[in-house]
Amino acid sequence: MNSTEHTLWVSALIVGLVVLVAVAILLSLLIYLVKNIDRRVVTVRDTLKAAKANTADTVLIPQVAAGVDLVLAEGLQHHLFLGRVLGKVKS
Amino acid sequence: MTVLVVLTVLEVVALIAALAFYLFWVGTLLARIATNLEECAEIVRGIVADAALIGPGVEHINETGGVVAGALPLLYGMAEEIVADVTPRPEPPAVPEPARPASGTRRSRLLDAVGFSPRLFRTDGGASPSPAADLTDRAAAAARS
Repeated sequence: MNSTEHTLWVSALIVGLVVLVAVAILLSLLIYLVKNIDRRVVTVRDTLKAAKANTADTVLIPQVAAGVDLVLAEGLQHHLFLGRVLGKVKS
Repeated sequence: MTVLVVLTVLEVVALIAALAFYLFWVGTLLARIATNLEECAEIVRGIVADAALIGPGVEHINETGGVVAGALPLLYGMAEEIVADVTPRPEPPAVPEPARPASGTRRSRLLDAVGFSPRLFRTDGGASPSPAADLTDRAAAAARS
């Protein structure tokens, strides 16, 4: 091996070492960003759990609607009763 | 020559090991993120299912409540009419009573405004002390003291 080849080989080794360090740095940055995403996803999940707890009672709304229907039916009965009584009183 | 070969092999092995280590780490993190996102999607589907009940339910309540609110004045109007019809009315007296003026002494707010409160005497023969009786009471109180 002549000196030129030796120099080129050493240069290639040095470049490879630099590439190795750059790959480690970039992958460390990738790990940092992915960890950040993981933390944000956990925060989003917790927020969604709170929102789910807040909307869990909406199943009561149809029951309330049914109750209001019963109030309307009772009011109609009152209307019929008062109509009968009023007719008798006036007669 | 041998040293260069060994260094080259070491460098390649180090590169492959670093890539494997970091990729395994990233894969683990991404798997955890995927699990969390699946849970988020399930929660969002539950929220959508809960929220789907709000619109029709509130619309139903609003419509029925409007009907009830519109019918209530009719009901209490009928009830008032029944009460007015069945309540006995007192018969008016055969001889109407004569109109009598209001008796007593009227107070003036002007005196109150300046802090003066005079003793008021009834003019209709009531139990209020007369000026003479007031003087007698004061003299008796002075004699006792």
